[in-house]
Amino acid sequence: MRPAAPIEPTLTEYSSVDSSPTRLNPEGSASDNRRFADFRGVRWRIDLGILPDSSSIYDLRRVTADSRRRYAGLRRRLLTDPQNGSNSPGLVMDNPLSQNPDSMWGRFFRNAELERMVDQDLSRLYPEHGSYFQTPGCQSMLRRILLFWCLIHPEYGYRQGMHELLAPLLYILHADVGHLSEVRKLYEDHFIDKFDGVSFHESDLTYNFDFKKFPESVDDGIDSQISPLKVSNLDELDPRIQDIILLSDAYGAEGELGIVLSEKFMEHDAYSMFDGLMSGAGGTVAMAEFFSPSLGGSHTGLPPVIEASSALYHLLSTVDASLYSHLVELGVEPQYFALRWLRVLFGREFSLEDLLVIWDQIFVCDNTKLNKCSDDVGSSVGVLSSARGAFISAIAVSMILHMRSSLLATENATSCLQRLLNFPSNINLKKILVKAKSLQVLALDVNNLTTLLVHPGSFEPSKSVVVRGHSLSLNCISPRTPLSLVPESYWEGKWRDLNKAEELKQSSSDKQVPDRKKDWSEKVRFSLSRTESAPSPSKVDSSKKDPKLCVRRNLLEDLSRQLGLEEGSEKLRCNEDLGPKDPTSMYVEVYGQDCIGKNNSSTVEERCLSGNAGSEESNSIFSDSPSPNDDENQSERSSVATNLSVDENEDESNNVESRRMHVEESPLPVSDSPEDASWKSGLNRDSVGKTTARLDSSEDVSLKSGQNNDIMGKPVAAFKERKLLSGKFQWFWKFGRNSGEGTSERGVSEAIKAPNSGNDQSNTDASLTVNGSNSSSVSSKGDAVDQNVMITLRNLGQSMFENIQVIESTFQQERGQVGSLENFSKNVLVGKGQVTAMSALKELRKISNLLSEM
Amino acid sequence: MVLVLAIGDLHIPHRAPDLPPKFKSMLVPGKIQHIICTGNLCIKEVHDYLKSLCPSLHITRGEYDEDARYPETKTLTIGQFKLGLCHGHQVVPWGDLDSLAMLQRQLDVDILVSGHTHQFKAYKHEGGVVINPGSATGAYSSITYDVNPSFVLMDIDGLRVVVYVYELIDGEVKVDKIDFKKTATAATH
Repeated sequence: MRPAAPIEPTLTEYSSVDSSPTRLNPEGSASDNRRFADFRGVRWRIDLGILPDSSSIYDLRRVTADSRRRYAGLRRRLLTDPQNGSNSPGLVMDNPLSQNPDSMWGRFFRNAELERMVDQDLSRLYPEHGSYFQTPGCQSMLRRILLFWCLIHPEYGYRQGMHELLAPLLYILHADVGHLSEVRKLYEDHFIDKFDGVSFHESDLTYNFDFKKFPESVDDGIDSQISPLKVSNLDELDPRIQDIILLSDAYGAEGELGIVLSEKFMEHDAYSMFDGLMSGAGGTVAMAEFFSPSLGGSHTGLPPVIEASSALYHLLSTVDASLYSHLVELGVEPQYFALRWLRVLFGREFSLEDLLVIWDQIFVCDNTKLNKCSDDVGSSVGVLSSARGAFISAIAVSMILHMRSSLLATENATSCLQRLLNFPSNINLKKILVKAKSLQVLALDVNNLTTLLVHPGSFEPSKSVVVRGHSLSLNCISPRTPLSLVPESYWEGKWRDLNKAEELKQSSSDKQVPDRKKDWSEKVRFSLSRTESAPSPSKVDSSKKDPKLCVRRNLLEDLSRQLGLEEGSEKLRCNEDLGPKDPTSMYVEVYGQDCIGKNNSSTVEERCLSGNAGSEESNSIFSDSPSPNDDENQSERSSVATNLSVDENEDESNNVESRRMHVEESPLPVSDSPEDASWKSGLNRDSVGKTTARLDSSEDVSLKSGQNNDIMGKPVAAFKERKLLSGKFQWFWKFGRNSGEGTSERGVSEAIKAPNSGNDQSNTDASLTVNGSNSSSVSSKGDAVDQNVMITLRNLGQSMFENIQVIESTFQQERGQVGSLENFSKNVLVGKGQVTAMSALKELRKISNLLSEM
Repeated sequence: MVLVLAIGDLHIPHRAPDLPPKFKSMLVPGKIQHIICTGNLCIKEVHDYLKSLCPSLHITRGEYDEDARYPETKTLTIGQFKLGLCHGHQVVPWGDLDSLAMLQRQLDVDILVSGHTHQFKAYKHEGGVVINPGSATGAYSSITYDVNPSFVLMDIDGLRVVVYVYELIDGEVKVDKIDFKKTATAATH
């Protein structure tokens, strides 16, 4: 593929950055730079904070011994054996019939009861893995560990599911011990410590291996024959085996591995791991809280697991609003399925092997609370405010997204839940994890920025009506977008005051759109479900123009707000960086691209509108405070804007009509063409709305970047070409009305061709827009005929792919021309924009692949 | 570990109205795995009450029992111990250790539980144990009027049996503990 060349560098660059956090394959090269790479159990213990992450063998030994001693003491204390109790004078109390609950016998009977309960679950634990989990040794270890933990934590007690958290932990310890002894047996000679007849290099022998065996020691026959080979063998061995040997010693108990792995102490180690997992080891993700029915430390008055599942839905709403609204409409509460997912950390959804890989990823995430908004305690979801928590919810969301199409196809809550609770077993785990990894960043931002989103299902419609009226009265200004907060500013306080109300409004506006437009919402929803790209909110508003603008704004602002505007441009950049790394994470990528435009647009709108109608204090607050970030943002993004910045002055008004005229006059057919076309094809209102929405935002952006105005000299040839193409496009649109899918996809191809002479990001934006609108139109047409849509999408994807190639090639050509006079002033910006555009293109290609796969 | 309640000579309702409330509150279902009762309950209601404490109930016949179907003697094996049960009025002289030891050999049991004398007794004898749990209600006997209510709880675990003696003295429950170990040789003969 020819155009692949310019993309490759960025790709590799990103992937190299990415390689260390995304250690998907424990055997992969990236994992080798961690110690104990081959021993999952040891890694987990380090991740869970049981073992120190220091390289000192003394630390390891001390900490390991401490934790084991603690467990042994615990066992001694808790394992009540009333018969062996001293012949105490307190026999009146300590007898089997004693009514005193504190008596030894009382404890004994309580333990026995607990044990019975635990046993009930243990007997059903992984019955298919009977080889290990059902062995009496394992069962008794599991039982004891659970029993002790429950006795130590009476506030939690034993809850079903705990055993499923513990079992994998014990299993990996078992596997590690087995692995170690296997290696030892296999490479026995490297472990044997030969003092006799062997001379050592004194210098490098920290551990006494059979490094050198000199020919002098020929007396023992077989050994000496192999020994010359052996010297080199150690170096030639698999590096992982080498690691193991280097971490061991001849006696088994003195090397690092000998210290941390021991069959005798599996129970001890498993307990400390389990304890670490349950209590969170000072972090925020404490699995025990998921089992606790109490309010814990949460501020919302909800049990933590409910809170966490709501946060999960919140993340979903950010990522995929259409799926979210579908689930909400069906009345599928997140805790229905998330309870099961979260409590056992997905242990029931995946096979044990997959689960271990998932847990690898979960545990490797930092569990410390992120203090970004420590001054605003109430605003973060406690459980998920760490990287690990965010990753857990990200996994859950990516699991939901994995089932996206089948979930969207469900008609009622029952079947929807059925699918959610029967997660397919033949999944591409890697895909899910990569997606989760990319969602994690988003999740963190969402979590840090917003208070817990109370599940919108519980919202009264009256509230949303109020919001609605409010925003209408302000002439389509939505007064509530604290775009980029300056955290230390005075406004922070005010924002916090308003925070609650804002949250309500925000979430209600999420809900209100489909509610309000009953007549066509079904249709739109359907079309939404068919379009794969995430930023569907912009499409939701599509059908009508002016009255709907505010809705669109709401949504845009919601979106940009949710996308973590606190960090403004950083966030954006982060999204951008993130996107191209993950080949499959197209949701986020598309998001990242889009939020650039939308972010800007909403800022801009906010600002200019606050000038107009900003009587509300909150309004001015929000428009004022973000300005520093905003400018920075703006300058960064100006590449987006430059192409469209012609229409600077026209945008003061919200009148689409007048703007359209302006656009037509302006020498910018890129924005012109889709809009114009769609105007002509008055029937296809959805697509019109969509297109205008997109245009709107980009134009608003252009307004803001007034300083870039003079830059916008364009090659005349390009204009001509575009005009031509836009003309064609119009035609295709009209044509498409009549002839249906086949034509509209041609329309897409034209549309994509149209802007491709532009050499900055607006290219991609425009094509994205057109593409989005087109697909929505296609699907809205096809909502009566499901299959048609699928076919269309497939075709669409193919044609998109072709056109992307064309764009890419154009890009390459234009890269050479960048230095030319017209573009000179834009040069710097273009450089930046191109990288983004390239990644956007890549994403487009992925979308097209996806579409054609469908 | 198995908890075995040995109880007998209640003589309800002839000599005592009911079990002492303190005993009743201690005897709750769920803890005891077996009840062996030496007899003289005497009515069916007491039998039902004992049954409610534990379904595994073994009773021999006392001379005042209404239910004539109870056997004179009974043996059962709990863990590694073989238990023999007899009311004791048949063994003369009553409560005599040698006579009881003879019965113990006859039944070939490790632990012989008998009653009738209304006096708590526990002997280690010839590698076995002879236990008299006394009267649970403190009913008078034909030997003595001064009877403290008592019963016995045996905790049988492996080769070891711990005998808890519950005695109501002046309204206070007194608990005593006696430890018996069965030797390996005792197990063989």
